[in-house]
Amino acid sequence: MDVFATNFKTIDWFIVTVYIFIPVVIGIVVRKYVRQLSDFIVAGRSLRLFIAIATLTGTELGLVTVMYNSELGFKHGFSAFHIGIIETVCILAIGITGFIVYKLRQLRVMTIPEFYEKRFGRNVRIIGGILLALGGILNMGLFLQAGARFMMGVTGYSNPAGLKLFMSAMLTMVLIYTVLGGMVSVVLNDFLQFIVLSIGMLIGSYFAIRRIGWSNLFAAPETAISDSWFNPVAEGSGFGMIYVLFMVVLTFSAGALWQSGTLRALSAKTPKVAKQLYAWSSVSYLARRVIPMLWGICAFVFVSQTPKLLSAFQGPDALNSQFGMPIFIAKVLPSGFLGLIAAGMFAAFMSTHDSYLLSWSSVITQDIIAPLKRGALSDKQRLLITRISIITIGLFLLIWGLWFEAPVSLWNYMAVTGTIYLAGAFTVVAAGLYWKKASSTGATLALFAGLLAILGIGPWTQGENVPFYLSDKFIGLMTFVVAFIGMIAGSLLFPDKNSLQGEQESDLEAS
Amino acid sequence: MNWVILWKGVLLLTLIGYSLLVVIVFFGGINNIIAMLQDLSSPRNELENDE
Repeated sequence: MDVFATNFKTIDWFIVTVYIFIPVVIGIVVRKYVRQLSDFIVAGRSLRLFIAIATLTGTELGLVTVMYNSELGFKHGFSAFHIGIIETVCILAIGITGFIVYKLRQLRVMTIPEFYEKRFGRNVRIIGGILLALGGILNMGLFLQAGARFMMGVTGYSNPAGLKLFMSAMLTMVLIYTVLGGMVSVVLNDFLQFIVLSIGMLIGSYFAIRRIGWSNLFAAPETAISDSWFNPVAEGSGFGMIYVLFMVVLTFSAGALWQSGTLRALSAKTPKVAKQLYAWSSVSYLARRVIPMLWGICAFVFVSQTPKLLSAFQGPDALNSQFGMPIFIAKVLPSGFLGLIAAGMFAAFMSTHDSYLLSWSSVITQDIIAPLKRGALSDKQRLLITRISIITIGLFLLIWGLWFEAPVSLWNYMAVTGTIYLAGAFTVVAAGLYWKKASSTGATLALFAGLLAILGIGPWTQGENVPFYLSDKFIGLMTFVVAFIGMIAGSLLFPDKNSLQGEQESDLEAS
Repeated sequence: MNWVILWKGVLLLTLIGYSLLVVIVFFGGINNIIAMLQDLSSPRNELENDE
Protein backbone atom coordinates (compact mmCIF):
# COMPACT_ATOMS: atom_id res chain seq x y z
CA MET A 1 0.00 0.00 0.00
CA ASP A 2 1.35 3.43 -1.00
CA VAL A 3 1.90 5.50 2.16
CA PHE A 4 0.25 8.60 0.68
CA ALA A 5 -2.52 6.75 -1.21
CA THR A 6 -5.81 8.62 -0.66
CA ASN A 7 -9.53 8.62 -1.42
CA PHE A 8 -9.41 12.41 -1.85
CA LYS A 9 -10.91 13.13 -5.31
CA THR A 10 -12.03 16.12 -7.40
CA ILE A 11 -15.35 16.37 -5.57
CA ASP A 12 -13.44 16.74 -2.28
CA TRP A 13 -11.29 19.53 -3.71
CA PHE A 14 -14.49 21.23 -4.89
CA ILE A 15 -16.10 21.04 -1.41
CA VAL A 16 -12.99 22.46 0.26
CA THR A 17 -12.48 25.24 -2.29
CA VAL A 18 -16.10 26.45 -2.10
CA TYR A 19 -16.05 26.31 1.67
CA ILE A 20 -13.02 28.50 2.24
CA PHE A 21 -14.60 31.43 0.39
CA ILE A 22 -17.70 31.56 2.61
CA PRO A 23 -16.01 33.31 5.56
CA VAL A 24 -14.76 36.13 3.35
CA VAL A 25 -18.32 36.82 2.20
CA ILE A 26 -19.47 36.86 5.84
CA GLY A 27 -16.64 39.29 6.70
CA ILE A 28 -17.78 41.70 3.98
CA VAL A 29 -21.48 41.44 4.92
CA VAL A 30 -21.04 42.06 8.67
CA ARG A 31 -18.62 44.95 8.28
CA LYS A 32 -21.53 47.40 8.68
CA TYR A 33 -22.11 46.18 12.25
CA VAL A 34 -18.63 47.25 13.41
CA ARG A 35 -18.98 50.84 14.58
CA GLN A 36 -16.66 51.07 17.54
CA LEU A 37 -13.63 49.30 19.04
CA SER A 38 -15.67 47.17 21.44
CA ASP A 39 -17.71 45.89 18.45
CA PHE A 40 -14.47 44.84 16.77
CA ILE A 41 -12.80 43.22 19.79
CA VAL A 42 -15.67 41.89 21.95
CA ALA A 43 -18.63 42.06 19.50
CA GLY A 44 -20.22 44.84 21.55
CA ARG A 45 -20.43 42.38 24.51
CA SER A 46 -23.54 40.94 22.92
CA LEU A 47 -22.85 37.17 22.95
CA ARG A 48 -25.59 34.98 24.32
CA LEU A 49 -25.01 31.48 25.65
CA PHE A 50 -25.28 29.17 22.63
CA ILE A 51 -23.43 31.34 20.15
CA ALA A 52 -20.77 31.84 22.81
CA ILE A 53 -20.41 28.05 23.18
CA ALA A 54 -20.04 27.70 19.41
CA THR A 55 -17.43 30.41 19.15
CA LEU A 56 -15.45 29.20 22.18
CA THR A 57 -15.41 25.68 20.75
CA GLY A 58 -14.56 27.00 17.29
CA THR A 59 -11.58 28.81 18.75
CA GLU A 60 -10.27 26.12 21.03
CA LEU A 61 -10.81 23.28 18.57
CA GLY A 62 -8.41 24.13 15.79
CA LEU A 63 -6.71 22.03 13.14
CA VAL A 64 -3.58 22.26 15.25
CA THR A 65 -5.56 20.94 18.24
CA VAL A 66 -6.70 17.98 16.17
CA MET A 67 -3.12 17.40 14.98
CA TYR A 68 -1.39 17.47 18.35
CA ASN A 69 -4.08 15.44 20.08
CA SER A 70 -4.12 12.80 17.36
CA GLU A 71 -0.33 12.70 17.60
CA LEU A 72 -0.67 12.04 21.35
CA GLY A 73 -3.16 9.23 20.66
CA PHE A 74 -0.91 7.81 17.93
CA LYS A 75 2.15 7.77 20.21
CA HIS A 76 0.66 7.05 23.65
CA GLY A 77 -2.70 5.37 23.06
CA PHE A 78 -5.56 5.67 25.54
CA SER A 79 -3.24 6.87 28.29
CA ALA A 80 -3.37 10.30 26.57
CA PHE A 81 -7.10 10.50 27.42
CA HIS A 82 -6.16 11.63 30.92
CA ILE A 83 -5.38 15.11 29.54
CA GLY A 84 -8.96 15.38 28.28
CA ILE A 85 -10.37 14.31 31.64
CA ILE A 86 -8.18 16.79 33.54
CA GLU A 87 -9.05 19.64 31.19
CA THR A 88 -12.79 18.88 31.32
CA VAL A 89 -12.83 18.82 35.13
CA CYS A 90 -10.91 22.13 35.22
CA ILE A 91 -13.28 23.84 32.74
CA LEU A 92 -16.32 22.52 34.59
CA ALA A 93 -14.88 23.79 37.89
CA ILE A 94 -14.38 27.25 36.36
CA GLY A 95 -17.96 27.14 35.00
CA ILE A 96 -19.48 26.12 38.33
CA THR A 97 -17.51 28.55 40.50
CA GLY A 98 -17.01 31.37 37.97
CA PHE A 99 -13.39 31.48 39.18
CA ILE A 100 -11.66 34.44 37.50
CA VAL A 101 -13.94 34.67 34.44
CA TYR A 102 -17.00 35.98 36.30
CA LYS A 103 -15.08 38.82 37.95
CA LEU A 104 -13.16 39.69 34.79
CA ARG A 105 -16.40 40.02 32.82
CA GLN A 106 -17.84 42.17 35.62
CA LEU A 107 -14.85 44.48 35.32
CA ARG A 108 -15.66 44.99 31.59
CA VAL A 109 -12.06 44.61 30.46
CA MET A 110 -11.33 43.69 26.84
CA THR A 111 -7.95 42.00 27.43
CA ILE A 112 -6.24 40.33 30.40
CA PRO A 113 -3.44 42.96 30.69
CA GLU A 114 -6.14 45.63 30.91
CA PHE A 115 -6.91 44.08 34.29
CA TYR A 116 -3.23 44.31 35.24
CA GLU A 117 -3.41 48.08 34.85
CA LYS A 118 -6.61 48.39 36.87
CA ARG A 119 -5.05 46.42 39.69
CA PHE A 120 -1.29 46.97 39.47
CA GLY A 121 -0.65 50.00 37.27
CA ARG A 122 0.36 50.76 33.70
CA ASN A 123 3.89 49.30 33.77
CA VAL A 124 2.60 45.87 34.73
CA ARG A 125 0.10 46.09 31.91
CA ILE A 126 2.79 46.83 29.33
CA ILE A 127 5.09 44.04 30.60
CA GLY A 128 2.15 41.64 30.72
CA GLY A 129 1.06 42.69 27.23
CA ILE A 130 4.51 42.10 25.76
CA LEU A 131 4.84 38.65 27.38
CA LEU A 132 1.31 37.70 26.35
CA ALA A 133 1.90 38.75 22.75
CA LEU A 134 5.29 36.99 22.72
CA GLY A 135 3.97 33.71 24.13
CA GLY A 136 0.77 33.88 22.08
CA ILE A 137 2.33 34.64 18.71
CA LEU A 138 5.09 32.04 19.21
CA ASN A 139 2.36 29.60 20.25
CA MET A 140 0.74 30.09 16.84
CA GLY A 141 4.09 29.58 15.14
CA LEU A 142 3.57 25.96 14.12
CA PHE A 143 -0.11 26.14 13.16
CA LEU A 144 0.61 26.51 9.45
CA GLN A 145 3.17 23.71 9.51
CA ALA A 146 0.72 21.32 11.19
CA GLY A 147 -1.96 22.39 8.70
CA ALA A 148 0.37 21.69 5.79
CA ARG A 149 1.12 18.19 7.15
CA PHE A 150 -2.59 17.47 7.50
CA MET A 151 -3.17 18.67 3.95
CA MET A 152 -0.35 16.49 2.66
CA GLY A 153 -1.58 13.39 4.48
CA VAL A 154 -5.22 13.76 3.45
CA THR A 155 -4.86 14.83 -0.17
CA GLY A 156 -1.72 12.86 -0.96
CA TYR A 157 -0.40 16.04 -2.58
CA SER A 158 3.22 16.20 -1.49
CA ASN A 159 4.75 19.08 -3.48
CA PRO A 160 6.20 21.30 -0.71
CA ALA A 161 6.03 24.52 -2.76
CA GLY A 162 2.39 23.90 -3.70
CA LEU A 163 1.52 23.19 -0.09
CA LYS A 164 3.11 26.41 1.10
CA LEU A 165 1.17 28.34 -1.52
CA PHE A 166 -2.09 26.67 -0.49
CA MET A 167 -1.55 27.39 3.20
CA SER A 168 -0.58 30.98 2.39
CA ALA A 169 -3.83 31.38 0.43
CA MET A 170 -5.84 30.08 3.38
CA LEU A 171 -4.11 32.43 5.78
CA THR A 172 -4.86 35.30 3.40
CA MET A 173 -8.58 34.41 3.50
CA VAL A 174 -8.52 34.50 7.30
CA LEU A 175 -6.71 37.83 7.31
CA ILE A 176 -9.27 39.38 4.97
CA TYR A 177 -12.37 38.48 6.95
CA THR A 178 -10.79 39.16 10.34
CA VAL A 179 -9.51 42.59 9.30
CA LEU A 180 -12.92 43.46 7.81
CA GLY A 181 -15.36 42.18 10.40
CA GLY A 182 -13.42 41.74 13.64
CA MET A 183 -15.17 39.79 16.39
CA VAL A 184 -18.63 39.95 14.77
CA SER A 185 -17.25 38.23 11.68
CA VAL A 186 -15.23 35.82 13.81
CA VAL A 187 -18.30 34.84 15.84
CA LEU A 188 -20.48 34.12 12.79
CA ASN A 189 -17.72 32.14 11.10
CA ASP A 190 -17.00 30.24 14.29
CA PHE A 191 -20.65 29.21 14.48
CA LEU A 192 -20.64 27.90 10.91
CA GLN A 193 -17.30 26.21 11.48
CA PHE A 194 -18.44 24.66 14.77
CA ILE A 195 -21.33 22.96 12.96
CA VAL A 196 -19.30 21.77 9.94
CA LEU A 197 -16.36 20.64 12.04
CA SER A 198 -18.49 18.84 14.62
CA ILE A 199 -20.44 16.91 11.99
CA GLY A 200 -17.16 16.05 10.27
CA MET A 201 -15.61 14.84 13.53
CA LEU A 202 -18.58 12.67 14.47
CA ILE A 203 -18.78 11.12 10.99
CA GLY A 204 -15.02 10.62 10.98
CA SER A 205 -15.20 8.84 14.34
CA TYR A 206 -17.89 6.51 13.02
CA PHE A 207 -15.76 5.49 10.02
CA ALA A 208 -12.59 5.18 12.13
CA ILE A 209 -14.23 2.90 14.72
CA ARG A 210 -15.98 0.88 11.99
CA ARG A 211 -12.67 0.30 10.19
CA ILE A 212 -10.78 -0.85 13.31
CA GLY A 213 -13.66 -2.57 15.14
CA TRP A 214 -14.87 -1.70 18.66
CA SER A 215 -13.18 -4.70 20.36
CA ASN A 216 -9.89 -4.36 18.42
CA LEU A 217 -9.79 -0.70 19.42
CA PHE A 218 -9.40 -1.60 23.08
CA ALA A 219 -6.74 -4.26 22.57
CA ALA A 220 -3.25 -2.76 22.80
CA PRO A 221 -1.37 -3.27 19.47
CA GLU A 222 1.51 -5.76 19.52
CA THR A 223 3.97 -2.94 18.86
CA ALA A 224 2.90 -1.09 22.02
CA ILE A 225 3.46 -1.91 25.72
CA SER A 226 0.06 -3.05 26.97
CA ASP A 227 0.08 -1.37 30.39
CA SER A 228 1.41 2.01 29.28
CA TRP A 229 -1.07 2.10 26.35
CA PHE A 230 -3.86 2.59 28.92
CA ASN A 231 -2.27 3.81 32.15
CA PRO A 232 -0.83 7.38 32.09
CA VAL A 233 1.29 6.88 35.20
CA ALA A 234 2.72 3.50 34.12
CA GLU A 235 6.39 3.25 33.22
CA GLY A 236 6.93 3.83 29.50
CA SER A 237 3.67 5.77 28.97
CA GLY A 238 5.67 8.94 28.26
CA PHE A 239 3.66 10.80 30.92
CA GLY A 240 3.98 10.03 34.68
CA MET A 241 2.92 11.91 37.82
CA ILE A 242 4.93 15.08 37.15
CA TYR A 243 3.32 15.37 33.72
CA VAL A 244 -0.16 14.82 35.18
CA LEU A 245 0.44 17.60 37.73
CA PHE A 246 1.78 19.91 35.01
CA MET A 247 -1.37 19.25 32.96
CA VAL A 248 -3.62 20.09 35.94
CA VAL A 249 -1.94 23.47 36.40
CA LEU A 250 -1.59 24.20 32.68
CA THR A 251 -5.14 23.30 31.62
CA PHE A 252 -6.72 25.07 34.60
CA SER A 253 -4.80 28.28 33.98
CA ALA A 254 -5.31 28.08 30.21
CA GLY A 255 -9.01 27.43 30.70
CA ALA A 256 -9.42 30.57 32.76
CA LEU A 257 -6.92 32.85 31.08
CA TRP A 258 -5.94 31.89 27.56
CA GLN A 259 -6.71 35.21 25.88
CA SER A 260 -8.54 33.81 22.84
CA GLY A 261 -10.82 31.70 25.04
CA THR A 262 -11.26 34.29 27.76
CA LEU A 263 -12.16 36.83 25.08
CA ARG A 264 -15.41 34.85 24.64
CA ALA A 265 -16.21 35.22 28.32
CA LEU A 266 -15.41 38.93 28.09
CA SER A 267 -17.71 39.19 25.03
CA ALA A 268 -20.58 37.48 26.86
CA LYS A 269 -23.77 39.45 27.34
CA THR A 270 -23.62 39.16 31.12
CA PRO A 271 -21.17 37.79 33.74
CA LYS A 272 -23.65 34.97 34.37
CA VAL A 273 -23.52 33.94 30.71
CA ALA A 274 -19.69 33.96 30.94
CA LYS A 275 -19.93 31.46 33.78
CA GLN A 276 -22.53 29.24 32.08
CA LEU A 277 -20.41 29.27 28.93
CA TYR A 278 -17.62 27.40 30.71
CA ALA A 279 -19.92 24.85 32.34
CA TRP A 280 -21.52 23.90 28.99
CA SER A 281 -18.26 24.04 27.08
CA SER A 282 -16.66 21.41 29.30
CA VAL A 283 -18.32 18.91 26.93
CA SER A 284 -16.61 20.42 23.90
CA TYR A 285 -13.29 20.57 25.74
CA LEU A 286 -13.63 16.83 26.31
CA ALA A 287 -14.47 16.27 22.65
CA ARG A 288 -11.61 18.41 21.36
CA ARG A 289 -9.20 16.06 23.16
CA VAL A 290 -10.84 12.63 23.04
CA ILE A 291 -12.09 12.55 19.44
CA PRO A 292 -8.75 13.45 17.77
CA MET A 293 -6.95 11.11 20.19
CA LEU A 294 -9.38 8.37 19.13
CA TRP A 295 -8.42 9.01 15.49
CA GLY A 296 -4.75 8.84 16.43
CA ILE A 297 -5.27 5.55 18.26
CA CYS A 298 -7.21 4.08 15.30
CA ALA A 299 -4.42 5.31 13.00
CA PHE A 300 -1.77 3.54 15.08
CA VAL A 301 -3.74 0.27 15.15
CA PHE A 302 -4.22 0.55 11.37
CA VAL A 303 -0.53 1.29 10.77
CA SER A 304 0.60 -1.53 13.04
CA GLN A 305 -1.56 -3.96 11.02
CA THR A 306 -0.08 -2.78 7.69
CA PRO A 307 3.61 -3.74 7.34
CA LYS A 308 4.46 -1.20 4.63
CA LEU A 309 2.95 1.65 6.62
CA LEU A 310 4.57 0.43 9.81
CA SER A 311 8.01 0.50 8.20
CA ALA A 312 7.36 4.08 7.00
CA PHE A 313 7.00 5.16 10.63
CA GLN A 314 10.08 3.28 11.87
CA GLY A 315 13.82 3.72 11.46
CA PRO A 316 16.07 6.75 11.02
CA ASP A 317 14.01 8.18 8.11
CA ALA A 318 10.67 7.62 9.83
CA LEU A 319 7.75 9.87 8.90
CA ASN A 320 6.80 12.46 11.54
CA SER A 321 4.13 10.93 13.80
CA GLN A 322 1.84 13.87 12.97
CA PHE A 323 1.28 12.17 9.60
CA GLY A 324 -0.32 9.12 11.22
CA MET A 325 -3.88 10.42 11.57
CA PRO A 326 -4.23 12.19 8.18
CA ILE A 327 -2.76 9.22 6.31
CA PHE A 328 -5.23 6.95 8.10
CA ILE A 329 -8.38 8.98 7.43
CA ALA A 330 -7.33 9.48 3.80
CA LYS A 331 -7.56 5.71 3.39
CA VAL A 332 -10.66 4.80 5.40
CA LEU A 333 -13.04 7.66 4.59
CA PRO A 334 -14.91 7.52 1.27
CA SER A 335 -14.59 10.37 -1.21
CA GLY A 336 -17.14 13.09 -0.47
CA PHE A 337 -17.00 12.48 3.26
CA LEU A 338 -13.27 13.09 3.05
CA GLY A 339 -14.01 16.48 1.48
CA LEU A 340 -16.41 17.24 4.32
CA ILE A 341 -13.82 16.27 6.93
CA ALA A 342 -11.15 18.32 5.16
CA ALA A 343 -13.55 21.30 4.98
CA GLY A 344 -14.24 20.81 8.69
CA MET A 345 -10.54 20.76 9.46
CA PHE A 346 -9.91 23.85 7.38
CA ALA A 347 -12.84 25.42 9.20
CA ALA A 348 -11.00 24.59 12.41
CA PHE A 349 -7.82 26.04 10.96
CA MET A 350 -9.57 29.29 10.11
CA SER A 351 -11.62 29.62 13.30
CA THR A 352 -8.50 29.29 15.44
CA HIS A 353 -6.42 31.62 13.32
CA ASP A 354 -9.05 34.36 13.22
CA SER A 355 -9.46 34.37 16.99
CA TYR A 356 -5.77 34.20 17.76
CA LEU A 357 -5.03 36.98 15.28
CA LEU A 358 -7.73 39.11 16.88
CA SER A 359 -6.55 38.30 20.40
CA TRP A 360 -2.88 39.09 19.95
CA SER A 361 -3.49 42.14 17.79
CA SER A 362 -5.91 43.49 20.43
CA VAL A 363 -3.22 42.99 23.07
CA ILE A 364 -0.62 44.81 20.96
CA THR A 365 -2.98 47.76 20.46
CA GLN A 366 -4.67 47.95 23.85
CA ASP A 367 -1.92 46.77 26.16
CA ILE A 368 1.35 47.82 24.56
CA ILE A 369 0.90 50.71 22.11
CA ALA A 370 -2.02 52.56 23.74
CA PRO A 371 -0.52 52.58 27.28
CA LEU A 372 2.82 53.72 25.85
CA LYS A 373 0.93 56.58 24.16
CA ARG A 374 -0.77 57.23 27.51
CA GLY A 375 -4.29 56.84 26.14
CA ALA A 376 -3.91 59.48 23.45
CA LEU A 377 -5.29 57.20 20.73
CA SER A 378 -8.79 57.58 19.33
CA ASP A 379 -11.03 54.56 18.70
CA LYS A 380 -10.42 54.96 14.98
CA GLN A 381 -6.64 54.94 15.43
CA ARG A 382 -6.85 51.88 17.67
CA LEU A 383 -8.94 50.06 15.06
CA LEU A 384 -6.35 50.89 12.40
CA ILE A 385 -3.44 49.70 14.59
CA THR A 386 -5.34 46.49 15.41
CA ARG A 387 -5.88 45.82 11.70
CA ILE A 388 -2.24 46.54 10.85
CA SER A 389 -1.15 44.24 13.71
CA ILE A 390 -3.33 41.43 12.33
CA ILE A 391 -1.61 41.67 8.95
CA THR A 392 1.87 41.91 10.53
CA ILE A 393 1.29 38.82 12.68
CA GLY A 394 -0.02 37.03 9.60
CA LEU A 395 3.19 37.80 7.71
CA PHE A 396 5.28 36.60 10.65
CA LEU A 397 3.32 33.33 10.74
CA LEU A 398 3.94 32.75 7.07
CA ILE A 399 7.69 33.05 7.52
CA TRP A 400 7.99 31.31 10.90
CA GLY A 401 5.35 28.63 10.38
CA LEU A 402 6.31 27.45 6.94
CA TRP A 403 10.08 27.63 7.12
CA PHE A 404 10.92 27.02 10.80
CA GLU A 405 11.29 23.39 11.90
CA ALA A 406 10.73 22.95 15.67
CA PRO A 407 13.24 20.71 17.45
CA VAL A 408 10.51 19.33 19.75
CA SER A 409 7.08 17.71 19.38
CA LEU A 410 4.06 19.84 18.52
CA TRP A 411 2.33 19.54 21.93
CA ASN A 412 5.61 20.14 23.77
CA TYR A 413 6.10 23.33 21.78
CA MET A 414 2.51 24.47 22.43
CA ALA A 415 2.68 23.74 26.16
CA VAL A 416 6.00 25.53 26.63
CA THR A 417 5.14 28.65 24.63
CA GLY A 418 1.77 28.79 26.39
CA THR A 419 3.45 28.57 29.79
CA ILE A 420 5.57 31.66 29.05
CA TYR A 421 2.39 33.68 29.40
CA LEU A 422 0.17 31.47 31.55
CA ALA A 423 2.48 30.92 34.53
CA GLY A 424 2.66 34.66 35.20
CA ALA A 425 -0.86 35.56 34.09
CA PHE A 426 -2.61 32.95 36.20
CA THR A 427 -0.70 33.95 39.33
CA VAL A 428 -1.14 37.69 38.72
CA VAL A 429 -4.86 37.58 37.91
CA ALA A 430 -5.77 35.11 40.64
CA ALA A 431 -3.78 37.06 43.25
CA GLY A 432 -5.01 40.39 41.89
CA LEU A 433 -8.64 39.34 42.19
CA TYR A 434 -8.56 37.36 45.41
CA TRP A 435 -5.58 38.58 47.51
CA LYS A 436 -5.61 42.15 48.80
CA LYS A 437 -1.86 42.18 49.56
CA ALA A 438 -0.82 41.38 45.96
CA SER A 439 1.53 44.15 44.82
CA SER A 440 2.87 45.41 41.49
CA THR A 441 6.38 44.15 42.36
CA GLY A 442 4.99 40.68 43.03
CA ALA A 443 3.05 40.85 39.74
CA THR A 444 6.15 41.90 37.78
CA LEU A 445 8.25 39.08 39.28
CA ALA A 446 5.52 36.53 38.51
CA LEU A 447 5.21 37.71 34.91
CA PHE A 448 8.96 37.53 34.28
CA ALA A 449 9.10 34.08 35.91
CA GLY A 450 7.09 32.83 32.93
CA LEU A 451 10.14 33.27 30.73
CA LEU A 452 11.73 30.28 32.53
CA ALA A 453 9.42 28.08 30.45
CA ILE A 454 11.64 28.70 27.41
CA LEU A 455 14.16 26.33 29.07
CA GLY A 456 11.61 23.59 28.37
CA ILE A 457 12.39 23.53 24.64
CA GLY A 458 16.18 23.49 25.05
CA PRO A 459 18.35 20.63 23.71
CA TRP A 460 18.91 19.32 27.28
CA THR A 461 15.29 18.10 27.35
CA GLN A 462 15.90 15.71 24.41
CA GLY A 463 17.27 12.20 24.16
CA GLU A 464 17.30 9.10 26.35
CA ASN A 465 17.83 9.12 30.14
CA VAL A 466 17.18 12.83 30.68
CA PRO A 467 17.10 13.45 34.47
CA PHE A 468 13.63 14.46 35.66
CA TYR A 469 14.73 17.98 36.63
CA LEU A 470 15.76 18.70 33.03
CA SER A 471 12.56 17.35 31.47
CA ASP A 472 10.15 19.74 29.77
CA LYS A 473 7.29 18.74 32.09
CA PHE A 474 9.30 19.44 35.26
CA ILE A 475 10.53 22.78 33.90
CA GLY A 476 6.95 23.68 32.93
CA LEU A 477 5.59 22.78 36.36
CA MET A 478 8.41 24.61 38.16
CA THR A 479 7.75 27.75 36.09
CA PHE A 480 4.31 27.96 37.69
CA VAL A 481 5.80 27.35 41.14
CA VAL A 482 8.46 30.07 40.67
CA ALA A 483 5.83 32.53 39.42
CA PHE A 484 3.72 31.80 42.48
CA ILE A 485 6.69 32.27 44.84
CA GLY A 486 7.63 35.48 43.00
CA MET A 487 4.15 36.90 43.57
CA ILE A 488 4.08 35.99 47.27
CA ALA A 489 7.65 37.13 48.04
CA GLY A 490 7.43 40.31 45.92
CA SER A 491 4.11 41.32 47.47
CA LEU A 492 5.19 40.72 51.05
CA LEU A 493 8.64 42.29 50.70
CA PHE A 494 7.60 45.20 48.46
CA PRO A 495 3.97 46.11 49.16
CA ASP A 496 2.33 48.84 47.11
CA LYS A 497 1.92 52.25 48.70
CA ASN A 498 -1.39 52.36 50.52
CA SER A 499 -2.75 55.28 48.56
CA LEU A 500 -2.14 53.63 45.22
CA GLN A 501 -3.52 50.30 46.36
CA GLY A 502 -6.57 51.97 47.86
CA GLU A 503 -7.17 53.89 44.67
CA GLN A 504 -6.90 50.77 42.53
CA GLU A 505 -9.21 48.83 44.78
CA SER A 506 -11.75 51.64 44.59
CA ASP A 507 -11.45 51.54 40.81
CA LEU A 508 -12.10 47.81 40.83
CA GLU A 509 -15.08 48.18 43.12
CA ALA A 510 -16.44 51.03 41.01
CA SER A 511 -16.07 48.91 37.90
CA MET B 1 -8.42 0.30 38.37
CA ASN B 2 -9.73 -1.13 35.10
CA TRP B 3 -8.44 1.39 32.59
CA VAL B 4 -10.17 -0.22 29.59
CA ILE B 5 -13.62 0.15 31.13
CA LEU B 6 -12.83 3.73 32.16
CA TRP B 7 -11.69 4.76 28.67
CA LYS B 8 -14.64 2.97 27.02
CA GLY B 9 -16.98 4.97 29.24
CA VAL B 10 -15.16 8.22 28.52
CA LEU B 11 -15.29 7.60 24.77
CA LEU B 12 -19.01 6.79 24.76
CA LEU B 13 -19.78 9.76 27.02
CA THR B 14 -17.84 12.07 24.71
CA LEU B 15 -19.48 10.91 21.49
CA ILE B 16 -23.02 10.99 22.90
CA GLY B 17 -22.57 14.20 24.91
CA TYR B 18 -20.94 16.08 22.06
CA SER B 19 -23.63 14.98 19.56
CA LEU B 20 -26.32 16.36 21.87
CA LEU B 21 -24.39 19.58 22.41
CA VAL B 22 -24.07 20.15 18.65
CA VAL B 23 -27.85 19.81 18.17
CA ILE B 24 -28.62 22.15 21.11
CA VAL B 25 -26.08 24.76 20.05
CA PHE B 26 -27.23 24.67 16.42
CA PHE B 27 -30.84 25.62 17.23
CA GLY B 28 -30.00 27.89 20.15
CA GLY B 29 -27.19 29.57 18.22
CA ILE B 30 -29.38 30.65 15.30
CA ASN B 31 -31.68 32.55 17.68
CA ASN B 32 -28.65 34.02 19.43
CA ILE B 33 -27.20 35.30 16.13
CA ILE B 34 -30.44 37.08 15.24
CA ALA B 35 -30.54 38.71 18.68
CA MET B 36 -26.86 39.70 18.47
CA LEU B 37 -27.26 41.40 15.11
CA GLN B 38 -30.32 43.26 16.44
CA ASP B 39 -28.26 44.40 19.43
CA LEU B 40 -25.45 45.63 17.21
CA SER B 41 -27.86 47.50 14.91
CA SER B 42 -29.56 49.43 17.71
CA PRO B 43 -28.19 52.20 19.99
CA ARG B 44 -26.27 50.59 22.84
CA ASN B 45 -26.42 50.75 26.62
CA GLU B 46 -23.94 48.04 27.56
CA LEU B 47 -24.04 48.71 31.29
CA GLU B 48 -27.48 47.19 31.50
CA ASN B 49 -25.91 43.84 30.58
CA ASP B 50 -24.03 43.70 33.84
CA GLU B 51 -27.15 43.74 35.96
